Amino acid sequence: MKIRRQTGLLIEPPGVATGDIAFNLIVFFLVCASTQPDSGRKQNLPKSEQTQQQQEKSENLQIDLTRTLVQINGEPVKMKDFIPLVKAKLSGKSRPEDKVVVVKSKKDVPYNHWIAVTTRIEEAGGIVTLQIEEEQQQIVP
Amino acid sequence: MKLSRKKLKVEVPSVAMGDIAFNLLVFFVILARAQDDRHLQWTPARARSIESAAPAAVRIAIDKNNDLFFNGMKTSVGQLKDLITQRLGDLPAGKRTVWLKVHDETAALRFEPVIEAISSAGGELVHILDEDKE
Repeated sequence: MKIRRQTGLLIEPPGVATGDIAFNLIVFFLVCASTQPDSGRKQNLPKSEQTQQQQEKSENLQIDLTRTLVQINGEPVKMKDFIPLVKAKLSGKSRPEDKVVVVKSKKDVPYNHWIAVTTRIEEAGGIVTLQIEEEQQQIVP
Repeated sequence: MKLSRKKLKVEVPSVAMGDIAFNLLVFFVILARAQDDRHLQWTPARARSIESAAPAAVRIAIDKNNDLFFNGMKTSVGQLKDLITQRLGDLPAGKRTVWLKVHDETAALRFEPVIEAISSAGGELVHILDEDKE
């Protein structure tokens, strides 16, 4: 009969590589976590002084935005008809200053609606310009 | 009789290398987060045909609580133009990209003055959006 010899030694897994494993895990999770959006739309806005001069020289399209509505020169327009209408109104205008489209928004217009409209203006060949109402503070004595 | 001396092996202990790397990484992550806006909570608006944005010189964000951030630091619209001008300095055109992240429900009253400040500071505005695939 063969008797097995017992050594009584503890066998431990090597722990030297634990740090490296932790390091690699962290790198992995960092890469996974950094999936923030990094794409979008470039928008060139003419400087306000230039816009004022341009408005004096030529009649530009004016888009009025409310929370749900879009108006071109005061006339309500459906979103599906928006691009063809703007294209039609801009046709025949070759100078960049004539292609300026003035966007005037009500205070409560949400960003997603604003982006949808300004994106369509640019797709139609227009140059977006904002008309912002200046707030005036009056101190009552 | 000459006794030969036992040579001792001297090695730099490398067991702690992993821990050192780990701590360095944590340090740099914390340092990077101070100028980052990834911790902000916002929902991007959707738009058709978006493209990959150029690297940002400045990142501006309006989160879902309507708070305004300049490179991850909370700020106000009044200070924004000066902050952008200072940051962009004399950078040439093409390197003056300003990323604008706006929560999709933010009202015009809040985001339009921000756009105006970017424009008047000479920033090249890029709206960060999600692609509308419908």
